[in-house]
Amino acid sequence: MIPRALISVVDDDESVRESLPDLLREFGFEVEAFAGGEDFLASDSIGRTRCLILDVAMPGMTGPAVQTELKRRGHKIPIIFITAHGDATTRPRMIESGAVDCLLKPFSEKALLEALDTVF
Amino acid sequence: MVGRPVSTINGRDTAADERQNLESTFRQIVESIPVPVAVTTPTGEVENLNQATLKYFGRTLEELKGWKSSDVVHPDDLERTISAQLEAHMAGCSYNVESRHRGADGVYRWFNVLGLPLRDEQGNILRWFHLQVDIDDRKRAEEKLKASEVDLGHIINTIPAFAWSADPDGTTDFFNQHYLDYVGLSAEQAKDWGWTMAVHPDDRDSLAQRWRGIMASGQTGETEARLRRVDGSYRWFLFRASPLHDETGAIVKWYGTNTDIDDLKQGETFIRDSEQRFRTIFDEAGTGITLLDLAVGEPIQNNRALQKMLDCTEEELGRYETFNRLTFEGDRESDAHTFRDLCEGKCDTMRMEKHFVLRDGRSIWANVIFTLLRDAAGDPRYVIAIHEDITERKLTVEKLQAKQDLLDLAQKAARAMAFDWYIQEPVNTWSPEQEALYGLAPGTFDGKFESWKGLIHPKDWPLVVKTLQHAHKTGEISIEFRVNWPDGSTHWLAANGQMFFDEQRAPYRMVGFTSDVTSRKRAEEELRRSEAFLAEGQHLSRIGNFSWSTASDEIMWSEQLYRIFEFDPDLTITLELIGSRVHPDDASMLFDMVERARTGATDFEYEHRLLMPDNSIKHLHLIAHRAPDRDGQVEYIGAVQDVTERRRSEEALSKARSELAHVARASTLGALTASIAHEVNQPLSGIITNASTCLRMLGADPPNVDGALETARRTIRDGKRASDVITRLRALFGKKDITTESIDLNEATLEVLALSRSELQRGQVVVQTQLANDLPPVIGDRVQLQQVILNLVLNASDAMSTVNDGPRQMFVKTELSEDVNVRFSVSDTGVGLRPETMDHLFDAFFTTKSTGMGIGLSISRSIIEGHQGQIGATPNDGPGATFYFSVPRSPAGNRAVLVTDAVSNDDKHVWRKA
Repeated sequence: MIPRALISVVDDDESVRESLPDLLREFGFEVEAFAGGEDFLASDSIGRTRCLILDVAMPGMTGPAVQTELKRRGHKIPIIFITAHGDATTRPRMIESGAVDCLLKPFSEKALLEALDTVF
Repeated sequence: MVGRPVSTINGRDTAADERQNLESTFRQIVESIPVPVAVTTPTGEVENLNQATLKYFGRTLEELKGWKSSDVVHPDDLERTISAQLEAHMAGCSYNVESRHRGADGVYRWFNVLGLPLRDEQGNILRWFHLQVDIDDRKRAEEKLKASEVDLGHIINTIPAFAWSADPDGTTDFFNQHYLDYVGLSAEQAKDWGWTMAVHPDDRDSLAQRWRGIMASGQTGETEARLRRVDGSYRWFLFRASPLHDETGAIVKWYGTNTDIDDLKQGETFIRDSEQRFRTIFDEAGTGITLLDLAVGEPIQNNRALQKMLDCTEEELGRYETFNRLTFEGDRESDAHTFRDLCEGKCDTMRMEKHFVLRDGRSIWANVIFTLLRDAAGDPRYVIAIHEDITERKLTVEKLQAKQDLLDLAQKAARAMAFDWYIQEPVNTWSPEQEALYGLAPGTFDGKFESWKGLIHPKDWPLVVKTLQHAHKTGEISIEFRVNWPDGSTHWLAANGQMFFDEQRAPYRMVGFTSDVTSRKRAEEELRRSEAFLAEGQHLSRIGNFSWSTASDEIMWSEQLYRIFEFDPDLTITLELIGSRVHPDDASMLFDMVERARTGATDFEYEHRLLMPDNSIKHLHLIAHRAPDRDGQVEYIGAVQDVTERRRSEEALSKARSELAHVARASTLGALTASIAHEVNQPLSGIITNASTCLRMLGADPPNVDGALETARRTIRDGKRASDVITRLRALFGKKDITTESIDLNEATLEVLALSRSELQRGQVVVQTQLANDLPPVIGDRVQLQQVILNLVLNASDAMSTVNDGPRQMFVKTELSEDVNVRFSVSDTGVGLRPETMDHLFDAFFTTKSTGMGIGLSISRSIIEGHQGQIGATPNDGPGATFYFSVPRSPAGNRAVLVTDAVSNDDKHVWRKA
């Protein structure tokens, strides 16, 4: 059995943590969901995480803050940002900061798959 | 005892001889006693009677022997006499009895009968000797005395005066009945010094003193004092006492009388008073009075006024010579002559103006009226001369004359301002005064007509020409014109006069007065101008005045008010007429005002509409004030302003405001994008993801129905969540009309917080709430108030956006404040408020933020003020600031919108139809 790749989802919104992992699992991924950046960074999933789907605006550590911390720790996990805020300038900005992609909610399945294709 | 006779004849005399001798001697003695003597035996028989007895009684011895029955003794006295005798006989002593005996003439006379017993050596009574002494005179005198004493008593008790007597030491012992009855004392009470009780307390001491003085003097004396009558009233009495001296001159008794002089005293007082009054009048009279006695030939009385007038003493004026001397020398002879005529009775009254020269050389003038008084025979007896000092008047007349002269002089001077223009002469000389009228220095006018024209204001020259033409026709000159002075000032002159013509009817001469009327003209101008301003002002401001007399319902309007109401200015204004223009919906206001006026309200302010004939509507603002009552009339004066334009612009403004508010909300909307996006996008995202998952699950082999069901469920949930947000947003940002309802501020706050939760989370703001229990509802527009809450909450969040070194805490509180308002506040720990910005916080377009128009707070202020509330901000003690607003709690069931004037005056309400 091919060990399935782990995608970690970090979003403070409960409905995201419920719905997104299910979809990803349908895609064939293993998924772990975290309510905040701190939880993720404290977990032992960091090493196994092949892709991080990261919410931008969160109480506590923001998405970019998690990104910065991971960099500092030397992890090179590809990050897909998802956000409910933002405008046309947000996606290019995030990509420039090193993210693989930035999806504006609500995003379609297609957009998600395209972003994942970039990673895998 | 009869003495033994010495003579003896011889030794041989017998006792009988001796006895015979004795008897004859005895008889001789008895006979010689001038008083009637009777000798009786011890048994009472009459033995002998002397000649006197016989003579008195006119009876013989034999007749008188049986004297008991001889009716010699008065029957009334007989028994008494006999018993006295018997007693004496028994006792063997003498007796003394008074009885009446009838004499020869048949008249009874009183006798004092002295009975003496003759005893022998053994003591036996040999004989009785009865001596009868005539005491008739004495007795009668006694009786008379007694009678007169009784009379005296009567007299004393009858005389109207009070009589009393006193011992030499002054203690009284007798008061007549009158006295006692008057003072209401008994004789016992009055005697000694008891009578002083009835003397007036104020007079007691002086009376006592005077009484002692009288007694000491030993002479008749008198004094006055008040006695108290039995009824308590006091009357004046004259106390008069006379001493009774004995042979040695010593005083044995004082006799006194008190006579009622009260009436007399009253009379005295009256006379004294009227004398005093007369004296006063005489002395204090303003006019000098002198009374001449022609019999004496001198003035006998003169009063103070005259003494003062003539600066003489009373004594000096008592001589006719003085008057003569004081008379002005030149008048002496004629005055004396005139006076003589009077004194001779040639006339009865006379009047003359006298000139006196006083001792210090001063002259005075007096108007003197002489009146002659004749005696019973009709001959001149007295003259009364009344002197009235007319010096002042005379001087005044002189002064007046002087003034008159001055006036004439002034008029003469004034004539210099007359003009006198010989028209046909090329040159007319002007006086300096005339030149002065034109502002010219004296002597600088050349007197030519052309030069004069040059002095006149060009604009008034045509009028001058017209006036001259008129004068040519009518001879009258009357004009007011301006002249330009050399110093540049303009003066108004008024000229009035006459034009004269020569034989050919050509203008020859103009004569009249010119005067400078600049100040009057200027005042007239001012008045005209201010009147014009007023009218113009009223027109411009669309304010008209009125006055209304409530008693007569007389109403006066200014021109502008007629214009406002579009009435003919000639119409008489009545309440009905006004009513015909008032908008039917506002008619009640008119009634209300009339009612309140009738009950005497002091101020009104109303806003109401007029419905014009063309169906257009005007808005009027009326203020009235009760004017001070005049003759008890109540009058209101007021002003009415046509505020239609203003109302329209207010409405437009209000509309613009709400547009603006909408825009602001919309701007706020911009700021809320994140929140909205978040709120809506989250569930949407969920829906889409779940839907994708659902399809996949159902497309799997075998289908994951359970999984699909779960995704479907989550889809519905997320759909609802999105729907809720939309609803809330729609409610918040939909444009609605303002409503008023009862609002629970806690609920409203929670809703707003829920709506902004994600924004607050993004801002990493920790929100704490303290919402009061039992917060009373407020009346207002829910959406508007929520807008304010949202505004304040977001502002607080923004204020903390730059805070990195501390917590970002927001504290939201609702409470019932002390002044019974509901209070909402938001505190933050942000950048706080700078003092210089505090004043402008709520101004429109004021912002300290880099983004946003800065309208939020100004709109919030408008909203809160529209809810009769207050909004404000204060810096915190620690970091940050607190923004708050308070609105009144809802009074029970009040749905009207009442905008009250800040000035609290009961009658000053501005009612608007809401």
